Amino acid sequence: MPPFQLVWRNLTKRKARFLLTAGSLAIAIFLLCLLRSLVVALEAGVKAAAADRLIVQSKVSLFVYLPQAYGTKIAAVEGVERVMRWNWFGGYYQDQGNFFAQFACDQDELQAIYPEIQLVDGSWDDFQRDRKACIVGEATASKYGFKVGDSVPIIGALFPKTDGTTWDFRVAGIYKSTKKNVDDATLFFHYKYLENALDSGEGSGPVGVGIFVVKMSPGADRTEVMSRIDAMFEQGPQVVQTTTEAEFQAQFVSMIGNVPLFVSSIGGGVMVAILLAALNTMLMAAREQTRDIGVLKALGFGDGVVAGVLLWQSLALCAFGGGAGILLAASTEDSVARMLGTVFPGYEVTAGTLWSAAGATLLVGLVAGVGPALRARGLSVIDALRRTG
Amino acid sequence: MGALIQLRGLVKVYARGGETLRVLDGLDLDLEAGGFYALMGPSGSGKTTLLNLVGGLDRADEGRIVVDGEDIAAMTGPELAEWRAEKVGFVFQGFNLIPVLTAQENVELPLLLTRLSRGQRKEHAKSALELVGLGDRRSHRPSQLSGGPEQRVAIARALVSDPMLVLADEPTGDLDRKSADDVLALLRLLNEKYGKTILMVTHDHAAAQQARTIVHLDKGGRLGRIEAVR
Repeated sequence: MPPFQLVWRNLTKRKARFLLTAGSLAIAIFLLCLLRSLVVALEAGVKAAAADRLIVQSKVSLFVYLPQAYGTKIAAVEGVERVMRWNWFGGYYQDQGNFFAQFACDQDELQAIYPEIQLVDGSWDDFQRDRKACIVGEATASKYGFKVGDSVPIIGALFPKTDGTTWDFRVAGIYKSTKKNVDDATLFFHYKYLENALDSGEGSGPVGVGIFVVKMSPGADRTEVMSRIDAMFEQGPQVVQTTTEAEFQAQFVSMIGNVPLFVSSIGGGVMVAILLAALNTMLMAAREQTRDIGVLKALGFGDGVVAGVLLWQSLALCAFGGGAGILLAASTEDSVARMLGTVFPGYEVTAGTLWSAAGATLLVGLVAGVGPALRARGLSVIDALRRTG
Repeated sequence: MGALIQLRGLVKVYARGGETLRVLDGLDLDLEAGGFYALMGPSGSGKTTLLNLVGGLDRADEGRIVVDGEDIAAMTGPELAEWRAEKVGFVFQGFNLIPVLTAQENVELPLLLTRLSRGQRKEHAKSALELVGLGDRRSHRPSQLSGGPEQRVAIARALVSDPMLVLADEPTGDLDRKSADDVLALLRLLNEKYGKTILMVTHDHAAAQQARTIVHLDKGGRLGRIEAVR
């Protein structure tokens, strides 16, 4: 083992350089954690998707609406227990910056099909009785200060009111999801409220159903149920595509591009940048310590020990910087989640992310240290003592 | 006493810019145990090269170097490092202390290669520094010491692991007369009181007079005369 006192003293000999390099490592590792956590959040919905739920959508596009009559026909398919209409509403609260998802759905099916949606305040009965009632995820409720009984005016972007006024909802419940496939940021309201408004001309927008959410009967064969539904509408008027909830979530994620690849590319760039910063620091340190390397060798320290002095410096430098970045990522998890809020629900710095960051830190430390260490190992005593650094 | 160091047919050639320079040319020399030798000669006579070869810092191209009965030319790198740690103490012209360590820590360095406990190491280093008159400056860094004290710390480092052989390369070269005399007095003390064999390269005739024997090397690395001083 190398003399660790020497490792530490050399590391902190030039304090400004040490702090700047460690600081840049900390920021880079924090960024890596952040990027990885965004991917984890995106993929969490896919991983947590229910096995007994199917999504029926137009085969052409998610933005092509299906006829209302399809609901009754789907409900009659063998293996289908429940069916719910589900439309993206796409409105905003007060101004466009206040974005969170709103869905119109069959209020009497929501609780049965999505048991993971648990009310933490208010009641399902109240939600189901009042046509203008809604339930709101606790992240959104907390962000905007919504409480049960409050009125929430939403400006319809996809479904504007014809008189230019807002859609007014009354909060009947605040929910928290027990699984990651449903975030805590959404507002659910009665499909009938939207349907009636469109029928009466009070509101305008695309007619039809965005998707049907199907809950299968216990023991039903998923593949067969999917085939039966697809076969039923093969002749139109709208051809459908039935997918599992996991496939649907994955498709939704891929709509914003190959996010994992994109994020990995940025992460790779960050890794290369911090590797170069650490390598530059270690090369300068190794050059400055050339004479010390000669002295250690002359005193009888082996080549491996001398190489270890530099390798441990690199590892310690990265451990400080990377450790600070990991601590920063873990300690700011709640703040970042709040900041991303309803735009990016489900942000979580998982243990896996932290371990990955620790692995990246170790890798940078090894790669940045191994070159200078090998150079020190191969240096002859005479050559090392001759150098003035 | 018998010959502690036996050099036979020692050849060292350096290749520089396509040319070869024969620094030592078949040198034969015996150095007795307990001796204090000053190695003198003109530039290019191979004084420092000889010191490096005897200390196992460099390899000879030809010849044998037997120290205390061991042929160090036949040793592997790790064996040679272990041998140096056990048998040799070095004092360099430029002191070569580790700048980030205190005097005490510099002196403790060679003891990290021994089986001594942390407490024993501290005690040994403290004693060595007291011996060279720097007991009260143990916590000073090299940059806080002037040349003389720096060289005395280097001598404390060279003797702390109780080596049989101390090799000094121009130990007074960077010092004023007063500091040089202090350093030479210390080397004499090591030789006379503690029985260390000392081989010192020097250009300084006054310094060489402190040794017991002066070995003169001629240009081209051949042995000149051997002069008994005291």
